[in-house]
Amino acid sequence: MSVAPRPKPFLEPQYCKGCLRCIEACPRECITPGSEINPATGLVPVELHLENCNGCTLCLQACPEPYGLRLETDPPAPAFAPNGDFELEDPAKLFGERCVANYSEGDQPDDQIALPACEPLVLKGTYASAIGALLAGCRHVFGYPITPSTEGAELMAKILPKLDGAFVQAVSEVAAVNMMYGAGGAGLPCMTFTSSPGFSLMLEGISYMIGAEVPGVFVNIMRAGPGLGNIAPEQADIKLACRGLGHGNTRALVLAPSTPQEMLDLTREAFALSFRYRNPVIILGDGYLGQMTGMVKLPPTMTRPGLPAWAVWGDRAHRHNLISSIALAEADLETHNQHLNRKYAAISACEQRVECHRCSDAEVLVVACNTPARMAKGAVEAARAQGVKAGLFRPITIWPFPIDTLAEILPGVERIVVVEAGPGQLEDELRLALSHAGIAPPPIDHVRRCGGILPAQSAILEGILQGEEVLS
Amino acid sequence: MSAFYDHFSRHAHGEGIKARSTHYCPGCGHGVAHRDLAAAIDELGIQDRTVLISPVGCSVFAYYYFDVGNSQAAHGRAPAVALGHKLAHPEAVVISYQGDGDLASIGLAETISIAQMGLPITVIFINNAIYGMTGGQLAPTSLMGQKTSTSPDGRVAAMGQPLKMAELIASLDGPVYVERVALFSARERVKARKAIKKAITNQVEGRGYSFIEIISECPTHLKMSPQEAEEWVKTKMEPVFPLGVKKDLTVEPWFKRGAPSFEPEAVLGLSGAERLDEDKPRTIANWPDHLPVRDIAIKLAGSGGDGAQTAALLLTRTAISVGFDATAIPSYGPESRGGTSYADVHIAEQEVLNPAASEPQVLVAFNAPSLAKFAPTVPAGGLILYDSTVVTDPGRLPAGRRILPIPLTRIAADLGRPMVKNVVALGALQSALNLLPEDSLVATLRHVLHDKPALLPLNESAYAAGRAAVESALAPA
Repeated sequence: MSVAPRPKPFLEPQYCKGCLRCIEACPRECITPGSEINPATGLVPVELHLENCNGCTLCLQACPEPYGLRLETDPPAPAFAPNGDFELEDPAKLFGERCVANYSEGDQPDDQIALPACEPLVLKGTYASAIGALLAGCRHVFGYPITPSTEGAELMAKILPKLDGAFVQAVSEVAAVNMMYGAGGAGLPCMTFTSSPGFSLMLEGISYMIGAEVPGVFVNIMRAGPGLGNIAPEQADIKLACRGLGHGNTRALVLAPSTPQEMLDLTREAFALSFRYRNPVIILGDGYLGQMTGMVKLPPTMTRPGLPAWAVWGDRAHRHNLISSIALAEADLETHNQHLNRKYAAISACEQRVECHRCSDAEVLVVACNTPARMAKGAVEAARAQGVKAGLFRPITIWPFPIDTLAEILPGVERIVVVEAGPGQLEDELRLALSHAGIAPPPIDHVRRCGGILPAQSAILEGILQGEEVLS
Repeated sequence: MSAFYDHFSRHAHGEGIKARSTHYCPGCGHGVAHRDLAAAIDELGIQDRTVLISPVGCSVFAYYYFDVGNSQAAHGRAPAVALGHKLAHPEAVVISYQGDGDLASIGLAETISIAQMGLPITVIFINNAIYGMTGGQLAPTSLMGQKTSTSPDGRVAAMGQPLKMAELIASLDGPVYVERVALFSARERVKARKAIKKAITNQVEGRGYSFIEIISECPTHLKMSPQEAEEWVKTKMEPVFPLGVKKDLTVEPWFKRGAPSFEPEAVLGLSGAERLDEDKPRTIANWPDHLPVRDIAIKLAGSGGDGAQTAALLLTRTAISVGFDATAIPSYGPESRGGTSYADVHIAEQEVLNPAASEPQVLVAFNAPSLAKFAPTVPAGGLILYDSTVVTDPGRLPAGRRILPIPLTRIAADLGRPMVKNVVALGALQSALNLLPEDSLVATLRHVLHDKPALLPLNESAYAAGRAAVESALAPA
């Protein structure tokens, strides 16, 4: 009884680098070092002498090149087909049905699920943010405990397992942000809660996420620095979020809530923005805001996330996708940066947000965000009571800075007072925005505290009144 | 070999020979391992489901070659990225492919912590005892005496001794399967191929985390021919990194996750939300005219355990329930684990502006240090209420403030539970200020204690006793 001969190896010499690993592998000495330089590669491929070959394929297993030694029965190199597909054995047959449906090609859109009307909640800021994330469809949270942000993670750790989601306490913030890179790269909304020192550690990962265009939401409940500093509130990371998101050409929308209600609303919105632009979104709160309890009303709908076409999901429809921030050729990387720049320009043009309180006739314009903006609002009211035309300009996006609205207000403004719980990072953003817009501002004063102390309303009032003729 | 792209269009834009040729040096072990991995993916029929995480190092470009879902991770973070993918889509087959610098140096924390989590992912570790991409520097797995560009006189103990990752990972409880294999002979290559297939099968079947260490050749940076490099791995590396199965548990498939829930009832319930009840009787309060301000700041201060935080939240909830705005800010951090604990509450007719209470109109002090610290911050005309059971000598308190010494602890103790002194304080505060509508705080107590009804009578009594104590204190003698 004769057995059909097994297929033998063959070699396309241009794909052999002449490493000779196959020679040792062959028990029948069918392969010898070559003697001729291949003109296409400059390398010397091996030579096959297959008279004694029995098709054992051990040489193939030794070959480091995918298209080096192959079997004569393998298909020849096809014409270039970038999205060529293969007939595969149905995995379901091998390993049973999957519990998650396969998605078809293209973007699977989000659903909006109606919620019944609810009583207002009384929540602290971190909880409000967590619930905003749940209602935005986030079911994957990765984090590392750090005061004063931890309660958000704790609430997620309690709730997510009951919703078949996942909360992972990572070994570090570095690991947490890279878990986000994975889950976000798979196309799902994910987030973390952190605070300043932890945010510093996440910056590497954020740079990769921006480079690879991976969405994700970072809630940074800022505390006082530098170094370990303390756990009291400070607006210490405006510089990092607006100017220093890791290495390279990085930008992200930076949202600055000032109430527990905004913690919920802006967190929820951050997910939509993050997917719209395929970019991380940073929420900067401060220690007070994270811990502050207040009234929070729920929105009328909850998002059930779809799946974007670009996701690396792990199914046939998404098999050709790649999440990567590397572009080895200089020209490719420049092109990618130009693409990012267009995206940043679109964000700058479309996403500036601000609350203007009594700005229309303001002569003294107070610029403040987060909790200090609440003190500032109180001071503006107090100044108005004394007949001073003060107004509050509260950026809700710090990047992009709401310069367009500011430009409209500024002609009547005689003086700007920047109020911040920090060393002047908000003022830097203001000055940069003015400079880029080519606007010569009126004199800029400031009221600043740092170390975890918020500017008092009385000090802000003093800053407003300085040089003002006080009526009454 | 279908797990490889027909055409490496990501490799130098797929032009010329690079369309079917790797970026690896001649004789590199990565290429052999790639073929083994591709064979396993093919044989298991999982190409569509596979997500390959490329590391930083020479195999950073693994995504050039594998026709699967690809994600390229930051240096050392591949297991974290893999975990993110696995949790996002548990049916994906996620493979983290890493070199020695990536896995055993910069990514050590991720490597170990995620191995210990034990979720079914597959880690393929290429250990060639040297840094390739950066050009031949010392690796965590370089051998003693090995000369590299950063150990020019050979590795000595003070540079760290070779890290035996397979043994380290096998010592953890998380992984189910750990094996070290090699590529230097036909026999070892057959074993390597089998091990990779088994490691992936463990994941596909939901049995757990698997780790395959492959001791491998880097002829270029060992400055050897591929044959010499194979010999070097066999004679020098293998004695330090012994081959074989380091751990192989028989574990029944266990990993199965459902799709996340988006049921409104479940999400709202877990968030603590309650359906709006239109028929529920509601008290909408008017701001009391007797107060000189439209936004009142109240500081509650005591030791941890005095209940200042709970009292602050009860006040805030009540004020919001009757249509005012209110905020509460706790002191937090180390001091909340003992020592002083205080809370700033603001209640405003319209909108709380400044939520801090640095100059509170009202101070409730549960102990002497709190009274001493905060009484001077109360402006003239303000109210200072303190626990006269605890503070027997209040010292000199600022003039021009209403001072109310109330024996909160004694009243609470008379009711049988000293810990309700914070509710006694709320009753006292209500009588002293008349800020919130009659009984609105009792309604809040009923609401928050709805699942502990046994505690309600005690709390109601405490509240009433607090009110009575102030009323008798204020009654004309």
